[in-house]
Amino acid sequence: MKRGRSITQTESSTYLNEALAIWVRDLRSEFRTRYAVNAIIMFAVTTLVAVSFSIGSFRIADDEKSFLYAVLLWIILVFSALSGLSRSFVKEQEAGTIDTLKLSARPQAVFLGKLFFNLTLLASLELIIVPVFVLLMRYPIAHPVPFVANVVIAGLGLGAGTTIVAAMIAQASTRGALFSALSFPLLLPLMIMAIKGCEQASVRLGPVGWAEVRMAFAYLVIMVIVSLFLFPLIWEE
Amino acid sequence: MIYKILLALWMALIIVASFFYSEAAGGFPGETSRILFFHVPQAWIATLSFLLSMIGSAIYLKKRTVDADHFALSAAELGFLFCVLATVTGSIFAKATWGSFWNWDPRETSIVILLMIYGAYFALRSALADPDKKRLFSAAYSILAFATVPFLVFVVPRITTSLHPEDTMNPASPGMDPRTLKVFLGSLLAYTTLFVWMLRLKIRLLRVEDKRDREDL
Amino acid sequence: MYLLKVNSICKYYSRTLLFKDVSFELAGGDALAVTGWNGSGKSTLMRIIAGLIRPSSGTVSMYYQDEVVPTDSRRRFVGMVAPALSLYDELTAIENMVFFCKVRGVESREDTCRDMLRLVGLDDHAHKLSGRYSSGMKQRLKLAQALLHHPPLLLLDEPGTNLDSKGMQIVWDIIEKQKQWGMTVIASNEKREVDYADRIINLSE
Repeated sequence: MKRGRSITQTESSTYLNEALAIWVRDLRSEFRTRYAVNAIIMFAVTTLVAVSFSIGSFRIADDEKSFLYAVLLWIILVFSALSGLSRSFVKEQEAGTIDTLKLSARPQAVFLGKLFFNLTLLASLELIIVPVFVLLMRYPIAHPVPFVANVVIAGLGLGAGTTIVAAMIAQASTRGALFSALSFPLLLPLMIMAIKGCEQASVRLGPVGWAEVRMAFAYLVIMVIVSLFLFPLIWEE
Repeated sequence: MIYKILLALWMALIIVASFFYSEAAGGFPGETSRILFFHVPQAWIATLSFLLSMIGSAIYLKKRTVDADHFALSAAELGFLFCVLATVTGSIFAKATWGSFWNWDPRETSIVILLMIYGAYFALRSALADPDKKRLFSAAYSILAFATVPFLVFVVPRITTSLHPEDTMNPASPGMDPRTLKVFLGSLLAYTTLFVWMLRLKIRLLRVEDKRDREDL
Repeated sequence: MYLLKVNSICKYYSRTLLFKDVSFELAGGDALAVTGWNGSGKSTLMRIIAGLIRPSSGTVSMYYQDEVVPTDSRRRFVGMVAPALSLYDELTAIENMVFFCKVRGVESREDTCRDMLRLVGLDDHAHKLSGRYSSGMKQRLKLAQALLHHPPLLLLDEPGTNLDSKGMQIVWDIIEKQKQWGMTVIASNEKREVDYADRIINLSE
């Protein structure tokens, strides 16, 4: 009997399956339209060029580089992320698919799917920008492993802290500026930790930044849990 | 009515006492330590308010009662006010003591972040037209912001030691001789009472506005 | 088996009253039409029934074999077609269908989805991007999407939008089939759509 099957089928499907379906769909849409990726990469490249151009010619002592470059790198990453991470929700709102999605998918699945998508965007951003930055600026990294760990984990944290905010602002009237205004205070602790971690990983002596990686990971976990809890509340009015 | 007069008199008394009754604390240039009678209670109220606002938000998320939202909003608005006051008085103190208005030491940084969180909260509220959504989303944001606070507590002191080797503020216990202590506690009491009064006023105002809106319908 | 109880719903937007005291009950086999002037709140009422928005007061409850269906599970039992509910333009029709199956936790085999597309006459265009569809084809795709999980409650907000007579025939067939076991609510002012229903509620009263 068709009716019975549809109900029991839903029980056996997990959040993860549904989230993966949403993630894949977002990836496919993004691949075909490049809606978010364009914004993010353009912003990142522009800022990177500006930074490299204005600082590149100065002779900065290696021990001063460690801190300064960490700051610059994370400014580029955070602001590039802020320029594009809200797009997946905003696009749904503008295209009119947001309600179709609300009617079809469970909120936790939607959150996870969108989170995975944002994390994919961030991973792509970092994969491109970080090596280019390191090469272009001749960033001396004494301990590459904790450096990469910092970049990766804090990058994930960036996604975790902003996905639910993106969902909120997609349903508000002023999108762009509001997203940055709301996300920035939430991201600030993470940003500070990431800067510190990268700074320490690029210096030969002293702690290499693993403490910061642990803290960034804690941030990631807490933000995901709190968001998973809050998301259904703001997704379903 | 009588309480307001008493409060006004008490505050006047505290202000006078802060200049004439207590002595300026040693270790601080000139009379500058006197500002701490005002700055510290303001900062304390700002933080307390933040906490109260978050509690109100949590209650709203659970129970969806409009009163909880009124409480959260009022606490946020007052918290913002006292936060601004604390920032300004702190800045004046910094200038008098260390010669520059702003140093990004832990306390200054924390208070700026608190200001940003408040600012974001109000920006979110004004961007949402539907009242239910407004209340719901701002309550959710409150909780999110609160979740990042423990990290601030860990992180902020660390940056100062590495970024700025300058001295950090330590105004929490300005050489507490008995007179100073009395004035300080008196000021704390005055500010807290003021805060409670303003909070209740604000909540009443919101309730009346609500009632008027509903009656219009 | 299934029951829908709508009790004294009223809805305000800011300070304007949209409608009030809307009540009705539906069981399997019923079809209700909701009519009213433009702006009378037909679409809003449909969204309230679907669970997308909350009413200002009143309740909407769905029952399955006498047990209340919790509001956050209601989506499993509802299929909706509405002008404001779009599908993904950058996906093909079949990709859209498979996606919505997966996301609803319903079996997502491509052939079952193709069958659904065949039902609405879009089989030949299954691999075309739905953004390139004509408005009539988009409407048919919306219908197909709403039926994927065989919902007990079908909400059709102006189902005949952009449809030619062949399209309307498809709608008629869908409603006929739905009437055999499930509930249908049609929001429309068009006579040809309203005629499918057995009862009418007019929101402008």
